[in-house]
Amino acid sequence: MYLNLVLVQIVNGLVLGMIYVLLAMGLSIVWGMMNIINFSHGLFFALGAYLAYTLFSVTGNFFMGMILVPLGTAVIGMLLELTLLKRLYRLNILYQILMTFGLAMTGRELIIIFYGPVGKPFVPPDILSGTITLGAFFFPTYRIFLLLVSVCITFGMWLFIEKTKYGSIIRAGTEDSEMVSALGINISRVFTLIFGLSMAIAGLSGVLAAPIRGVEPMMGEAILGICFAVVIIGGMGSFMGAIIGGIIVGLSQSLVTLIMPSASIIVIFLVMALILLLKPRGLLGIRD
Amino acid sequence: MSWSRLKIELQKNASTLIMAGIFLVLPFILPYRALATEVLIFALATVAFDLLLGYTGIMMFCQASFFGSGAYITGLLIHHFQPNIFLCMGTAIAGVALLALIFGYMSTLRTGSYCVLLTLAFNELIFFIAYQWKTLTGGSDGLRDIPRPSLEIPGVFKVNLLSETHFYFFALFFFILSFILIRRITESPFGKVLQGIRENETRAQAIGYNTQLFKIAAFVIGGSFMGLAGSLYAMFMNFVDINLVAFDTSGKIVMMELIGGMGTLFGPILGAGVVTLASDIANAYWERWLLILGVVFVGFVLFARGGVWGMMENLKGRMKIIRSKGE
Repeated sequence: MYLNLVLVQIVNGLVLGMIYVLLAMGLSIVWGMMNIINFSHGLFFALGAYLAYTLFSVTGNFFMGMILVPLGTAVIGMLLELTLLKRLYRLNILYQILMTFGLAMTGRELIIIFYGPVGKPFVPPDILSGTITLGAFFFPTYRIFLLLVSVCITFGMWLFIEKTKYGSIIRAGTEDSEMVSALGINISRVFTLIFGLSMAIAGLSGVLAAPIRGVEPMMGEAILGICFAVVIIGGMGSFMGAIIGGIIVGLSQSLVTLIMPSASIIVIFLVMALILLLKPRGLLGIRD
Repeated sequence: MSWSRLKIELQKNASTLIMAGIFLVLPFILPYRALATEVLIFALATVAFDLLLGYTGIMMFCQASFFGSGAYITGLLIHHFQPNIFLCMGTAIAGVALLALIFGYMSTLRTGSYCVLLTLAFNELIFFIAYQWKTLTGGSDGLRDIPRPSLEIPGVFKVNLLSETHFYFFALFFFILSFILIRRITESPFGKVLQGIRENETRAQAIGYNTQLFKIAAFVIGGSFMGLAGSLYAMFMNFVDINLVAFDTSGKIVMMELIGGMGTLFGPILGAGVVTLASDIANAYWERWLLILGVVFVGFVLFARGGVWGMMENLKGRMKIIRSKGE
């Protein structure tokens, strides 16, 4: 019985971990390439969840949300980048941080104005509810679905970054974006697209997470700190680091829940502090 | 002291004197006394943060853990032991200084944006500890039953602080004292090194300064004053709200700092005043007024990075030019 519980928690930990991976990937790419810490990353996660909620309650089709919402958050993200962030690139990074922080607060208030301050339940679509039996164990279908989808997206992102021409621009930009621009690549447009991509994944992870945790206005802020911890553990600008960090954090959070539920989130930050002391660059960090 | 010397001193300290004057009458012109105390305490926290962001160039988001921990330590001490007020505040400051030392050391292992990220993560750690450790902190209900101690040195004097006016002037004393100390620090050789780190950390290292040590010192000094502000706040409210250690409080102090004008010491006071008063007024009309604050803040980041103080200086400069042209 206890083994069963542990196994279920491992699956839960992986599910949670994959959501962190999706968020940390976007955070890490933007950080590595544009040197921006995006404090509004959590906002786009919440925005994704809320847009999915609206679409699902209007159309009843969950999968439509999985396609349309990321497009929506990407467009909103790119518009904000073009109109607001772009003006601040020539200044100290402080102002970009402050800008994303201001946007996060403004966006949260907008969400509360539109949807109210109280959270809403979000039931997974019929086709994905119920459980799957694997041997002697039962797993909720939706969690398995989430796991599969997020692994596919992560793999797709890996292919995109490691195997395509655009990916090589991103990797080169993480090393030295000035050099990339000297090679004749319109770095400004690349920044916009990267920001949009990162916001698309953030929105999608919001869609995927909504049926597990429901939607509420503060969900973005709650997850932002954890994602920062993931990026610190994995190392800045490292794609694999985001994956490993996310899974470590997800697993430790869900396994500690078994022993001491109240410490489950605290443990994340303690792990982060420990790794920081042992390896200040994070597990796979490449540069400062 | 000769008359001309006095005049020069007065001119040099004109802003300080004007500020002191404003604070002397503030509680009597605001709708209620407690509002002035609120302005004062947040002004203290923001000035302390100015030492970090404005003078050392360290951006951080763990102001709330310093401010809130100061409040929790004070609250817990009064709640359980009712010690002397000075002992209580001293313990809170010492406790927060220790916390700032640990956070400062760990955050300054990395520079720039990494440091910002770490401070946010540490703030989350403190928040979740306060949130989960319900038997100690009261969790999300906050820490209740903190009677305000009287100002007392046993056998020497005793003043009752229950009146809001008394408490305001008690807080004002600590505010002015802290302000003078912080300004003295920024003008000292130590403060100049901090400004050197802000301008170019690598160069400061090249000259031979151990910049991490200086940054940790800035954390400890700034953190201690934030702890003092938190300690005052706990006694002022007779209650410690869990939100005092939440990200929102850090964000509030950051906004006050930028809207006021960073690196000016006076600007942050102005920012704390503007934001506190505006929120008090606006809250009565619209609960979601933070939306407006957010938009205003974004506007300041885009168009007025010098804050309100910067705008005033700018205006003063223009007036001078116009006047000199007139002559």
